[in-house]
Amino acid sequence: MCSSCGFPAAPGHWTDAGAVTGPDKLRARFRRAQVLQAVLPAYGLSAHDGGLIPGIQISTGSGGETIVPDLSAVWVLAEKLTGRPIDPLDARFLGAGGVGS
Amino acid sequence: MRASWAPAAWARDVTGTRDGRMQLTVLGGFLGSGKTTWLRHQLHDGNFQDAFVVVNEAAATPVDDALLTRSTDLAVLAGGCACCEARGELVALLRRICDERSGKDSRGQRLQRIVLETSGLADPGPIVEAIRTDPILVHHILVSEIVVTVDALHALAQLRSEPLGRRQIEIADRLIVTKLDEADPAALARLLATLHCLNPGASFSGAIKGSDAELPLYDNAEPEALADLSDEVANPPIFATALAIDPTVDWPAFSVWLSALLHARGDDVVRVKGVMRTPAGRLLLQSVRKVVQSPEVLPAQSADTAYQDESIVFIGRGYRAEDLRRSLRYFASAGRT
Repeated sequence: MCSSCGFPAAPGHWTDAGAVTGPDKLRARFRRAQVLQAVLPAYGLSAHDGGLIPGIQISTGSGGETIVPDLSAVWVLAEKLTGRPIDPLDARFLGAGGVGS
Repeated sequence: MRASWAPAAWARDVTGTRDGRMQLTVLGGFLGSGKTTWLRHQLHDGNFQDAFVVVNEAAATPVDDALLTRSTDLAVLAGGCACCEARGELVALLRRICDERSGKDSRGQRLQRIVLETSGLADPGPIVEAIRTDPILVHHILVSEIVVTVDALHALAQLRSEPLGRRQIEIADRLIVTKLDEADPAALARLLATLHCLNPGASFSGAIKGSDAELPLYDNAEPEALADLSDEVANPPIFATALAIDPTVDWPAFSVWLSALLHARGDDVVRVKGVMRTPAGRLLLQSVRKVVQSPEVLPAQSADTAYQDESIVFIGRGYRAEDLRRSLRYFASAGRT
């Protein structure tokens, strides 16, 4: 947004906008990895974020690992690896209770 | 060829019409084309001063009014398009504005201008017709200009498939091509040539984040050969869904879900907007297809805007509203015991 007529825009990737302080950022990264870890295994992928180095680590079942900078890059990589986009409106994600509930 | 830019009618004359009628500017444009951003900047610059601003939103939960705080007089018509189901409400609102104006004795106190920002799903044509044919409004209001914003990033795709996008452009007196800084130069030139073919009579100008910006030359660009859409099977209608965001939906889970949704369904989920509470404050979230704008950090809420933080509006087609709710619930509860 224009700096004179709008409100300040959060810097960085839009998905990182919800946390500013160090502890909040770390909590957000752990939680994000937790959600990814509930979604990706159905597609033969897994996610890890230890909070020490920047980025999200995506692993394939064959042991391949890639670190991507943000969530948008996660979905681009996942589509490349699996051959189709991961669709949140897929029937597997429409169950009533959710993963781990 | 260079698109002409001329000072708009409102910049030359802010005193209403000679016969005493109010001037009405209709501001239209497709979903996410930058109507509110442009209007917000105009208000910041002091244009449309003393105008009564009417904002029409297709969704029941309005968002844009929170961004137009520079306007002293503002009314919101939410929950329907002013060109169809909410047309009666628009006429009733304009009549009330006219009634109030007629009660003022001094010409100096009288309202001279109304700006109507339509929803992105509105065809300005029926709105203008409703005002011009209403037996009361016709004596009080003159539709002085139809301004339509055009998204430099997405307009060509919209013009290929959306008859509404074409109608909005064809009826404009002035086309404002927005997001110039984000568009590929060749695609932008092609878009400008296409707009010129669709509406050779309109004046063109450009905008970046609401500010005036110069349009490039497009002499050598070929216009898009747009197919006739009249014989095609109509696309399913675009609809709005307000998704409740309760306290169990945390930002990290929501951002995982929305980023995946827009990657997979960005051509169907045409527009997302709303306010989300996060540890970093209230974030104004806006997307157009797959492009998400950097969220603005809004000031702490006042009591009258508290309702806006309770839902995010999704506008699109090709999915079921209930599936959005169920899927978000699934992601938000992931990993929770």
